[in-house]
Amino acid sequence: MTTIQSTRFGTIEVAAENIVEFPAGLIGLGGLRYALLDPSPGSNFFWLHSLEDPALALPVVDPRTFFRPFALAVSDEDRERIGAEDPEAADVYVTVRTAPDPVDTLVNLRAPLVIWERRGYQVLNGAPGAELRVPLFAPADPPHERSAQSMGGGTPIADAA
Amino acid sequence: MLILTRRPGERVVIGEDVLVTVMEISGQTVRLGIAAPQGLPIYREEIWLAVKEENRAAAEAPADALPDGRATDGGATDGGASDSGTGESSSAAPAGEGEQQAR
Repeated sequence: MTTIQSTRFGTIEVAAENIVEFPAGLIGLGGLRYALLDPSPGSNFFWLHSLEDPALALPVVDPRTFFRPFALAVSDEDRERIGAEDPEAADVYVTVRTAPDPVDTLVNLRAPLVIWERRGYQVLNGAPGAELRVPLFAPADPPHERSAQSMGGGTPIADAA
Repeated sequence: MLILTRRPGERVVIGEDVLVTVMEISGQTVRLGIAAPQGLPIYREEIWLAVKEENRAAAEAPADALPDGRATDGGATDGGASDSGTGESSSAAPAGEGEQQAR
């Protein structure tokens, strides 16, 4: 177990299997080691919490929970870095930009975090509709434009082999 | 800032293992080839800045900022096809708008 002193959550014990190494850090944030926390079991939100900086943590969700199908089109270089033989088994998370009104919650589908064997990379997703700021929650009556953001096409990571 | 003048086909070496080649100059556009170690990410500046901004904005969330995450509320769910992959055609769109990095 590893102990995190978190400015948000206090003292947390983290099991080794929940620690992820990001050899290249997160884009613009750095950090080499993060823990994937689930402080609200039952919700679909997780926190990626730095092991080095007690104040650095980002809420994340698995885009496959909210966007189906979710396509991930990454460069050959990123595919090599990720290293998953069976990419369907890789975990994917996207960062969440929270807002006072939950309806305004946005996620970054352009730069997902792909985690395989406790090693993670923030990669650029070239799939159509994988924008920087996508509403996480669809309006009650989805406008037509929403369909333009659906995650079709591209190269599903499952086809990486 | 170091400023160098290069012609198409000429290169700049950064450190021991980063090689930048001026591939082509066309009007206002310069096409660069970058060879770098695999672990060294390369981004267009505007994308790097935008992702950095999103990461920083996400990291500002207080501990109690998250809504109840119910998948039924959201998403472009087309119904069903959550097991993406196996049956889908691959249009092989690379992330770099058709460009490649030589490593």
